[in-house]
Amino acid sequence: MVNVTLNINGTEHTLAIEPRVTLLDALREYLGLSGTKKGCDHGQCGACTVLVNGQRINSCLALAVMHVGDQITTIEGLAEGDKLHPVQAAFIKHDGFQCGYCTPGQICSAVGMLNEGHAKTDDEIREQMAGNICRCGAYQNIVAAVREAMARTT
Amino acid sequence: MTSIDTAAPVSPVGQPRDRVDGRAKVMGRATYAADAPVRNAVHAVIVQSTISRGRIESMDASAVEKSPGVIAVLTPNNMPKLEKASPDAQAETRTPLSDLEVLYAGQHIAVVVADTLEHAQHAATFLKVDYAAKPPVLDLNDPAAKIERPAKDPLGQKLQLEKGDVAAALAGAGVIVVKETYSTPVETHNPMEMSATVAYWEGKKLTVWDATQAVVSRRKSLASLFGLKPEDVRVLCPFVGGAFGCKGDQWPHTVLAAAAAQVVGRPVKLMLTRPEMFTSCGHRPVTEQTLTLGATKDGRLVAIKHETKIEDSDVGKHIEPCGVGSSAVMYATPNLALTHQLSRVNIASTTFMRAPGENPGTFALESAMDELAIALKIDPVQLRLVNYTDKAPHNDLPFSTSNVKECYRLGAEKFGWHLRNPEPRSMTGPRGERVGWGMATATYPGHRFPNQARIRVFVDRDGGLSAIGASATQDLGTGAYTVCTQMTAMLVGLPFERVKFELGDTNLPPGGVSGGSATTAGVGQALSEAAGKLREAALEIAQGKIDSPLAGLKPTEVVLRDAHLASIENPAQAVALTELMTVGEKYLEGMNEANPASADNFPAKRKAHTFQSFGAHFVEVYVDPDLPIVRVNRVVSVMDVGRVVNPKTAGSQVQGGVIMGIGQALFEETHYDRNTGRVVNDNLADYVVCVNPDVHSIETHFVGEPDLLFNAIGCRGVGEIGITGINAAIANAVHHATGVRVRDLPITAAKLLRQV
Repeated sequence: MVNVTLNINGTEHTLAIEPRVTLLDALREYLGLSGTKKGCDHGQCGACTVLVNGQRINSCLALAVMHVGDQITTIEGLAEGDKLHPVQAAFIKHDGFQCGYCTPGQICSAVGMLNEGHAKTDDEIREQMAGNICRCGAYQNIVAAVREAMARTT
Repeated sequence: MTSIDTAAPVSPVGQPRDRVDGRAKVMGRATYAADAPVRNAVHAVIVQSTISRGRIESMDASAVEKSPGVIAVLTPNNMPKLEKASPDAQAETRTPLSDLEVLYAGQHIAVVVADTLEHAQHAATFLKVDYAAKPPVLDLNDPAAKIERPAKDPLGQKLQLEKGDVAAALAGAGVIVVKETYSTPVETHNPMEMSATVAYWEGKKLTVWDATQAVVSRRKSLASLFGLKPEDVRVLCPFVGGAFGCKGDQWPHTVLAAAAAQVVGRPVKLMLTRPEMFTSCGHRPVTEQTLTLGATKDGRLVAIKHETKIEDSDVGKHIEPCGVGSSAVMYATPNLALTHQLSRVNIASTTFMRAPGENPGTFALESAMDELAIALKIDPVQLRLVNYTDKAPHNDLPFSTSNVKECYRLGAEKFGWHLRNPEPRSMTGPRGERVGWGMATATYPGHRFPNQARIRVFVDRDGGLSAIGASATQDLGTGAYTVCTQMTAMLVGLPFERVKFELGDTNLPPGGVSGGSATTAGVGQALSEAAGKLREAALEIAQGKIDSPLAGLKPTEVVLRDAHLASIENPAQAVALTELMTVGEKYLEGMNEANPASADNFPAKRKAHTFQSFGAHFVEVYVDPDLPIVRVNRVVSVMDVGRVVNPKTAGSQVQGGVIMGIGQALFEETHYDRNTGRVVNDNLADYVVCVNPDVHSIETHFVGEPDLLFNAIGCRGVGEIGITGINAAIANAVHHATGVRVRDLPITAAKLLRQV
């Protein structure tokens, strides 16, 4: 067991966990932050995407102990109180999800992608969101939502 | 059947509303099964068989038990004895861990429960198992496979059928015959949410959070297995992270989680891993279909023969009714033959996957229709128009509504079909791509399962009226929360914003399975009847008052509108609903009766009409001229599904079906090792589904009118029709682009190169 202090959504949490605990399981099973989803546990689907210092990562491929001292943002930390982040609002408006299970990962990934600032066109959005699988098939609407959020935030 | 009330100034039904559960979903607040707010849960993980046929000779769990944090290990040797389950709700005929026989690779053989997930996962690796293995049967054409020819499918429809004389018709003078065999591989649902169960006991009462398409069915099944009264089992499922059929029946892991919770006396959480999803909750079976079409020179079909081969495990119960879902209903033909043959193999059990039967069935029939159109030199749309039927060929019952011709017309117009050069390899794209245009018909039956629902109207804190509709149905991502809210709002005549809908909990009035695209139709009918009961209750109170303006009116003569109960004929005769809620009485309530006779889910028993949705897909593919990689560039899909309650969520459903169909046509295939029978690509990197860059323009349209013969709302459901026919439309477009006909999905570059 090791003591790990994680800064999540601006709050510090200290956990006594095994070093092998992934960041995803630390969030879900030890901190009760179940908004981040497990879709494969292999870094293949993107459902567990969170932001670490503003960059998107697959939290299932990271150990919690690796992120001491980092600023971790999960889906629960994107809105300001009841005011949705522009990406969240655009996902609702454009129906960018159906079951909603990949959605926290899609939204965190989109926020990370906008931070990167490389996508300009729809094709570039598609390519740079390729790591987030949506089995319901909301891709067209996800692109529309990201396009709108991009226009609003840049 | 009575028509619906469309009394609100702008009916909430038909509006493109945002999802009412949207905020919860984008904020990470939607609680899926594994997110259940249950404290102190311990973790269960499953151990699966590594052979696909044989017997477990011995199991040694001593090292598992000594591993840190382990609380219990369940194996066939110590599994608590379960009662016989009600058969209809179980996916497999065998109760889990009830014997030592291995029937397929990836069969559950043990459960390890530990204090943390990490401890459970680690400990599970220490289980020692010795097998006596036998050579498995892995192919439906293996002579060692047991063969069955089932008479009927679970909905009572005939799987072996001959109408007229097919052989004589095919041998007729001047008849052009197309006969080809089409095949589809095993496809695995892979919803993003892996199946999960959180179970806990309080004395003899069991509570289960389960990722399921059917909370009520799950309760019935768990109650019978554990010898409980149904009311002592509560199943909750407020959100489902996609299902597509794999969460319909009860699979073993749900039972194992409940049994483990009983053994350890604590809440147990069990989530299948992604590899386990390939063997633990079904898949679409391999299909091999031979289509024989006979037609006159002008394209008129004289015979359709549709022979289907499918497979399942020894304990599976699914039949993929390919011919029933396609040739039985789509085109006018005086002679029709359907056969279905099932092989028993040592591969995990199969189950319904989005449009079971209709999806592979339309791939075969709609590919064959394209081949016939080419043989006859008739435009593919024209060939379908020539063979239009207004009744189902297998039972000659007229369709309740039938607008497929309008689907063809509008689809062709939106797509620009008239610009198509019929010659294969005749069209090229801006960068020299080979361009192909193909089309196909989509179809899916109207299903509606028995359902109860309740509506309560009450005075809110602000003094205004609000309503809550409720039914133990499920929202799989379909938009059920939203469309049920819209239907409730319409029926009680209140604004959408003042209405809520509750689902996914067996404490609510019993609902049916959310499968067969049946939820909106089933719940809608139930809500309509519940609203009728609510009107009756309100009218009785109103007429009990002196000088009631509604005196003498019958319940069928009043309507709920603008917070009033009003006469339909003379709207000025009205009573404010607030006046009917006396002090101390919180709400007016209406709930429909159980199992109304009108709500039958057995198409075979229908006497007057066939309820069937139709649509048309028009597809443009680009195929690289050097390495023939296919890109689906443009899709126009036009659907007639009766009344569309919410065009926004319904459009998303059709898009989702089309996209899963693109995946099926181009990528998806579960591969099994030919020697061991184990799944080779049991993960989301190797089982390839569509990702964002695979999807380009998909345009959806709806035509048609409310199907009020089917239910009081007039809808036939929209979850599955999008994935029918799209596979063939893509294959037809690929043929148009390349001149190569691929009859074996998926259409890979390797298959195209091989045939060039």
